[in-house]
Amino acid sequence: MSQEDPAGENYRTTVKRNRVLHWSWESKLPLECAAHFIRMRSMVDDARIPKPGFWSNWSSWEEADAQNSLGHDPLFVFPKDKLVEEGSNVTICYVSRIHQDNISCYLEGVQIYGERLDRSVSAFELKNVSFIRKKGTNVFCKVDQGGALGGIVLFVSKVLEEPKDFSCETQDLKTLTCTWDPGSDTGLSKQPSQSYTLFESFSGKKTLCKHRNWCNWQVAQDSQETYNFTLVAENYLRKRSVSILFNLTQRVHPMTPYNLFPKNVRATNATMTWKVHSIGNNSTLLCRLELLAEGKVIQQHNVSIKVNGEYLLSELEPDTEYVARVRCAYTNHFWKWSELISQKFNTAEAAPSEAPDVWRNMKMVSGHPTVSLFWKPLSKVHANGKILFYNVIVENLDKPSRLEVLSIPAPARSTELTLDQCSYQIHVTAHNNVGPSPASVIVISGDPGNEEVESGRVNGTEDGFSVSWKPQSGDATGYVVEWCDGPQDLPCVLQWKNLGPNTTSTVISSGAFRPGVRYNFRIYEISAKRMAHLLEKKAGYLEELAPSDNPQVVMSNLTSHSFTLSWKDYSTESQPGFIQGYHVYLKPKAGEQCPPAFEKTVLPEDSVCCKHTIDNPEQKTFVVENLQPESIYEFFVTPYTSVGEGPLDAFTKITTPDEYSHILIRIILPMIFCVLIVMIICYLKRQWLKEKCYPDIPDPYKSSVLSLIKSKENPHLTIMNVNDCVPDAIEVINKPEGSKIQFLGTRKSLTETEFTKPACIYLLPTEKNYSGPGPCICFENFTYNQAASDFASCGHFPVTPQAPPHQLGPLTSPENLLKALEQNYMNSLGEIPAGEANLNYVSQLASPTSGDKDSLPTNPPEPALCSEYKMQMAIPLGLASAPPSENSSLSSATLLGQGEHYR
Amino acid sequence: MLACLCAVLWHLPAVPALNRTGDPGPGPSIQKTYDLTRYLEHQLRSLAGTYLNYLGPPFNEPDFNPPRLGAETLPRATVNLEVWRSLNDRLRLTQNYEAYSHLLCYLRGLNRQAATAELRRSLAHFCTSLQGLLGSIAGVMAALGYPLPQPLPGTEPTWTPGPAHSDFLQKMDDFWLLKELQTWLWRSAKDFNRLKKKMQPPAAAVTLHLEAHGF
Repeated sequence: MSQEDPAGENYRTTVKRNRVLHWSWESKLPLECAAHFIRMRSMVDDARIPKPGFWSNWSSWEEADAQNSLGHDPLFVFPKDKLVEEGSNVTICYVSRIHQDNISCYLEGVQIYGERLDRSVSAFELKNVSFIRKKGTNVFCKVDQGGALGGIVLFVSKVLEEPKDFSCETQDLKTLTCTWDPGSDTGLSKQPSQSYTLFESFSGKKTLCKHRNWCNWQVAQDSQETYNFTLVAENYLRKRSVSILFNLTQRVHPMTPYNLFPKNVRATNATMTWKVHSIGNNSTLLCRLELLAEGKVIQQHNVSIKVNGEYLLSELEPDTEYVARVRCAYTNHFWKWSELISQKFNTAEAAPSEAPDVWRNMKMVSGHPTVSLFWKPLSKVHANGKILFYNVIVENLDKPSRLEVLSIPAPARSTELTLDQCSYQIHVTAHNNVGPSPASVIVISGDPGNEEVESGRVNGTEDGFSVSWKPQSGDATGYVVEWCDGPQDLPCVLQWKNLGPNTTSTVISSGAFRPGVRYNFRIYEISAKRMAHLLEKKAGYLEELAPSDNPQVVMSNLTSHSFTLSWKDYSTESQPGFIQGYHVYLKPKAGEQCPPAFEKTVLPEDSVCCKHTIDNPEQKTFVVENLQPESIYEFFVTPYTSVGEGPLDAFTKITTPDEYSHILIRIILPMIFCVLIVMIICYLKRQWLKEKCYPDIPDPYKSSVLSLIKSKENPHLTIMNVNDCVPDAIEVINKPEGSKIQFLGTRKSLTETEFTKPACIYLLPTEKNYSGPGPCICFENFTYNQAASDFASCGHFPVTPQAPPHQLGPLTSPENLLKALEQNYMNSLGEIPAGEANLNYVSQLASPTSGDKDSLPTNPPEPALCSEYKMQMAIPLGLASAPPSENSSLSSATLLGQGEHYR
Repeated sequence: MLACLCAVLWHLPAVPALNRTGDPGPGPSIQKTYDLTRYLEHQLRSLAGTYLNYLGPPFNEPDFNPPRLGAETLPRATVNLEVWRSLNDRLRLTQNYEAYSHLLCYLRGLNRQAATAELRRSLAHFCTSLQGLLGSIAGVMAALGYPLPQPLPGTEPTWTPGPAHSDFLQKMDDFWLLKELQTWLWRSAKDFNRLKKKMQPPAAAVTLHLEAHGF
């Protein structure tokens, strides 16, 4: 270091004769880091010598070089284990014996850079060092890629603070307790925590405090009144002190009272007793007794006592929990209240002080008026104890009868009464252990009265619903507003509010009210007879919301130019707001204009569509008109409230039909229907039609017989002649056959068994000894009507058994046959003479048109004694009209005609 | 992991005797000592982390490997492998016993220096465990009939940092104490494993496999 180094410092002092000067100086740069030099000069400091005096010459430099005694370690770091205060600037250095440049130094692991003082020494200035840990801040240097390492621990102490809030007090005038806030602890492993010493200047005594924030001082017996305390805080680096001066009697802080108890606790008063620790001789304490209810001080009383305290607390509420607390202060000089002592107690019960708030709800159950009575539990203030039960007394006002008394245990809040059509007065009282409450009286009329009253709306606000009404009669004794707390779709939790006679409005508030729920309020007027009459109904929302859902829309009457939308099932009552109307949205096909009554609008998703507003909430149908045929439209209906409209749902797509399709449908469908009907009728009546339109007319030219004849006998014949046809042969067999007798009588069985063979010839039974009418030949025809049948049955032709078959020979000629038939016919009208054998014959193959007598068969049938003929088939009209005299022998039509004639 | 080791220690008395012929011999004691070294090894890992953080950087840095400046008095655990193999049982056990005696003494001094209550509690707990290990080694030696080494008068290790001992060197000593302790525990595990194998009767070999993850 050069002698002119600006880092040098000067020190000046006055030295007296024959005294050795000791001067301690601490270098900012550790002494080990560099050689230090010192020199001195002096001047005479004497009043007799005029100033300025003259300095002597400088002495020679004295060198202090600590590096020589360092030892042989390769690397040293200085200063070793230095203790500094937070915020100080510290200079450190390393001294290297290995003369290498690659030495790095680190503060808490972070490299630091310093000033190189010479080849082997570098200095680092650490500014504003801060406290890191009690174990000290590590600074170390090491040779890179070498084993040499050196380090120091820098102990940074927190700055010692002046003790705060230093004060002293006594509880018994014997011991003083001084307390303070010590602030930060400055303890390190290099330095113990700061110490505290209490010094009293008047007595000159001092004490080393064992605790870092309080200290006790014994009061001297010599009745010292005034004290001047100095508290000294001290550590290795600093000393701080604080003083207070006070009079002992002005620092009395009494001890906490004890044994605080209630005595003689009644419904409205109680006596509190407590004790205090005495202070000195005959000292008086001022005690403050406080009474708290629900955490709030409601009464405060000051009592002066010596040792025992007592006070009567009055104006208490029955059955209420109170807290009494006491604290005391020194009466001679108030310094501080003592700590509090608290005691909890409950006052005794009393009879309920107020009638329960009662309301009713009337309904008809099975034709009987049923009254649901509701009451609110009495508030704690009025219950004056635990309510055990409610008494309900029902009194009939119309006819004298016994009072009906119901006792309903608490905590029930309602009961149900079934009454008749009379008027009743109902008294309700609440009972606790001590007694009943005043009665609440309500009168119920058997007549439910007029329930149809004016309905209105009520607006909801943040505070609730502001309901107002118009008084109806002048003698109202009060009003009741009734409502249900829950939504309409939930069971009603009946709520009501009683209001005075002069009230015409109120605010109904409830924590249960929710936005978007419709609440219905009913306002009743209570008459002087305590009877309730419904005045008004109001409905309202605490806060209207937009509809949450859209109606189910039904589309109908779709034509080419219009269609109808309807949503009649949509209930406007159960919506989250008053429905003001509906918006009908219609999306026409691209490029098309909105129909009249619609206006163009933009939907939230930026699509353009047409909108029609219906401002009547009860109009739940809408006809969309002026549409284009064969076009696709999309529609959507949403309700709206004062807040907004319902959610934007999906549009429903429809396509209008073409213009003529409906006309076609109107014509073609009935036509198809008619044709179908005709076809069905024709099918069902096909037999009748066949008979009417194309009956089975035997065509002689097409007869198979003809073809048979052609092929066998006369191939040139084209028309079947009578001569060509082999007529039916009648075989008359005179054979007794008992079983056949039954046939005439049992037509039914015959029908079943023989109907398919109408052309069969049945022979009546014949017997040789037969005395009655002779055997007959019977041609059964079951299409014959009953009359004809009866007629036929009554006209049996007797057949003479004796007549041999060959005697019938003349009948084979047509003339004979006609004759015979004629005769037969005539006989059938009258009596047929006995023993006269006749034969009736009708050809089964002969054409009805064959008046041709030559066509009769050549092979005559076997003669029969008697035969009966019945019609075999229907006869065409043309033939039926032929004169019976000519055709009776040829066709059964003659017989039919006669049959009908005889009807 | 710790729970696993505790469970093992808890069930140690239930471990069947290695020698089923009647006299269990020193086998169970060796096994117990071996398990204890592994447990202490694990316990020390947690304690050293806390203590080195308390010392501050660079001592808590993972790659900090300072020269052994002032810790010459600490018993060295590192030894030439051939030398270690050639150690007889008695010498092996004696070296372990002496090392832990010294280390325990130093460790108690460390505990007195510790500034935080939490750290003092951890150190005290570890000292108790280490005392247990020392007793366990003494037990093995007694079972094998070896006398305990007698401390020479005046050579009782003390924890009195000399005036030339700076706080930084003191921290270095603490660092080396913990490091040597860890090395000794590792070496002891090897020693007792070797002894265990040596003492096991081949016919009644029962292997207690203990895995100590993360060591």
